[in-house]
Amino acid sequence: MQLAETASERVLADEVRAFLSRARLRSEDLPRELDDRMVALRSWQAACYEAGFVGRAWPSEFGGGGRPPAEQIIVDQELAAAGAPEFVNVVGLDVLGPSLLRFGTDDQRRRYIPPILRAEEIWCQGFSEPEAGSDLASLRTLAVQDGDTYVINGQKTWVSWGQYATFCGLLARTDDSVPRHRGISMLLVDMSSPGVEVRPMTQITGHAEFSELFLDDVAVPRANLLGQLGDGWKIAMHTLGHERGTAALPRQVKLRTWLDRAVSVAAHRELDGRRVLEDPEAQTALARALIGVEVLRHHAYRTVGEFLSGGAVGPESSSVKLLMAEAEQRLAATVLDVLGPTLLSGAPDETAENDFWYETYLYSRAASVYGGARQIQRDIIADRILSLPKE
Amino acid sequence: MDLELSDEQVWIEESLGTLLDREWPPAQDAWQAGAPERTRLWESLVEFGLLSGAGSDLGAIELCLAARAVGAHLASVPLLGGVGVRYALAPFAAELPAAFGAILESDSRVSIALLEPGGSWSVSSTHATVESNRLTGSKAAVEHAADVDYLAVVTLADGEPGLALVRTGTKGLELAPQPVLDESVPLSRATFVEAEAEALVDRELAETIIERLIAVGGLLAAAEAVGAGAGIFERARRYASERRQFGRTIGSNQALRHLMADLHVRQASGWSTTLFAAATLDDRMSGARETVSVAKAYVSRAAREVAHGSMQVFGGIAFTEEHPAHRFLRRIIAREQQFGDAVHHERELGRSLARAATRERVAV
Ligand SMILES: Cc1cc2nc3c(=O)[nH]c(=O)nc-3n(C[C@H](O)[C@H](O)[C@H](O)COP(=O)(O)OP(=O)(O)OC[C@H]3O[C@@H](n4cnc5c(N)ncnc54)[C@H](O)[C@@H]3O)c2cc1C
Repeated sequence: MQLAETASERVLADEVRAFLSRARLRSEDLPRELDDRMVALRSWQAACYEAGFVGRAWPSEFGGGGRPPAEQIIVDQELAAAGAPEFVNVVGLDVLGPSLLRFGTDDQRRRYIPPILRAEEIWCQGFSEPEAGSDLASLRTLAVQDGDTYVINGQKTWVSWGQYATFCGLLARTDDSVPRHRGISMLLVDMSSPGVEVRPMTQITGHAEFSELFLDDVAVPRANLLGQLGDGWKIAMHTLGHERGTAALPRQVKLRTWLDRAVSVAAHRELDGRRVLEDPEAQTALARALIGVEVLRHHAYRTVGEFLSGGAVGPESSSVKLLMAEAEQRLAATVLDVLGPTLLSGAPDETAENDFWYETYLYSRAASVYGGARQIQRDIIADRILSLPKE
Repeated sequence: MDLELSDEQVWIEESLGTLLDREWPPAQDAWQAGAPERTRLWESLVEFGLLSGAGSDLGAIELCLAARAVGAHLASVPLLGGVGVRYALAPFAAELPAAFGAILESDSRVSIALLEPGGSWSVSSTHATVESNRLTGSKAAVEHAADVDYLAVVTLADGEPGLALVRTGTKGLELAPQPVLDESVPLSRATFVEAEAEALVDRELAETIIERLIAVGGLLAAAEAVGAGAGIFERARRYASERRQFGRTIGSNQALRHLMADLHVRQASGWSTTLFAAATLDDRMSGARETVSVAKAYVSRAAREVAHGSMQVFGGIAFTEEHPAHRFLRRIIAREQQFGDAVHHERELGRSLARAATRERVAV
């Protein structure tokens, strides 16, 4: 174990900084309107890809950088530290991409991986259904084989970025006669296929970042089956392992920039004639939030850092996921505590900053639901790590 | 950046486990161990090479592996001082006064004397002073003082910290055992009246070494608490799979399953942050001090949570003297208290966040 940056890692960090001094997009400079924002974010990811900063640890034969996983961590850190926004194709990069790399045929990987990296094709994840949330294996969307195609009927929900997606990694039941986990397959669905209807849903933040997805006799070529027929559950567990574990690596960097931003706001705002940050209680509260973020980083490095290049993440990703939700929620709630009545002063020049913290706070409530609710992560740990008897 | 334990580190971890299984009674009987067992264990740790002096390639990571094994076995040896002082001194071997250098070359046992009666763990609350090689002052919570050859004493004069070595038999030094929560980690008050001492006079060097000493001391304490946490948690996990009530094993109730899942997260992440902080010390990275504070603050709370939760899993049986649960709990609290508890380190971190932000504001 060794943390100090090697010479080549230092060179890389400098490279990222040099890139940022030429081309720079800060989260706060993004257009407010979601459609415009998507356009800006896609070209940002494309520029970062051209510079070698996206999929750096992915295999080079499919457009990745073929470099050690540690380099992607360094890149993420430098980008986030400069206030750059997260890559827009997060579902492609952190969730489905690793599964395409692992289970896809060479044809599939050549076809799908490069446009994911360049944000030319946005991906979404069609797992959850109205009646199948935590109990994902009870999903009912059906795919029936008809010659060289599967015909899909059913409904998906909470599909993040569904309305912007070109492709969906979709779980469907392909066999009713076997135990439920074994009758599920993963299909790569072209979102422009006839019979696909996407209805955006507005979230508590006011943004429509997820959608309902209706599938009515949607024909999907057999070549778009990922892995073998009936492998869907296995692939979904791999996908979710990355969503719960590997995704923490860029996320913790983001959280750290929020923490630094909160400290800086507290250093500028005044309450009863003194700087908020002079209050020892505010300092300690922020320190506790910092500890949450730092421990997330340390734990994620130790448990999932090595899986950035696509390997299978084990059940320890559930402990990362629990820490990630805890760190994010504590940080967001702490900022409300620390800024306190300054949030209500009505000062026009503080509105944008207050909005940011309100939105961050609201969004943080999802952290213990998406990717598998907190209670489900605990069940996974109880079963697979602690081997406790089942109910 | 390389985030996995090396093969050699894994080997050290396994060998130390075997060594402790062999040389030390099982954790539930460990409280009965006396001076002969302690001496024997200490000697085999020395033989294993845990003290290898100047030029040693034992880093904080390896030492934390040892401390964790000691905690899991509820072993009782002057490890913190013994390896902590050497770790702090080793990189500066060439610049050290003779007596300090000699420590690195010997097997002598050392304890750290930092805290003072009525004071906090901040070096700034030190009053002990050295003048022409005579040390005066008093210290509290000195571990294993009766079993060691030297005390490494933190001093302060005109706001400048120093480090002094005092032989335990020296005239002018009096040791008085203190009442303690964990009897397997005996603590003493030490009173020095012009006791003969060898002082580290180079201020800058002293400051660097003390900072390193306090950091590694806190980390070793954290690692030991993680070990003790693993000891009690593993027992609770097994108990939950065996004990039956309402016609089913208690561990099949989701309330306990989820409680234990949370405890597992605390255990696993407590170890991650300890190792990470150890690596920042070994690599002498900037911000190492803050990272150590993160680890010590986190593990202090986490290990306590693990002990409390595990005791809840045991129910009434864990409240008997005979059951080992309280021995682990006691060790965990004892390690939480050494080198600053959670509140101490959270305040330190909070102040350092504020200092950094103020500097930035001035710079803008
Ligand atoms: C912002 C956001 C983005 C999302 N993006 C996507 C996406 O892109 N693609 C996708 O497929 N899904 C997505 N999801 C869906 C997410 O995976 C589900 O919301 C989640 O799995 C929980 O399912 P549910 O909402 O149906 O809640 P339910 O399963 O109904 O759970 C409700 C509550 O009951 C608890 N519960 C359920 N079962 C148990 C049990 N056995 N023991 C104890 N407690 C239990 C849960 O923990 C939860 O607290 C997203 C969700 C959010 C909030």
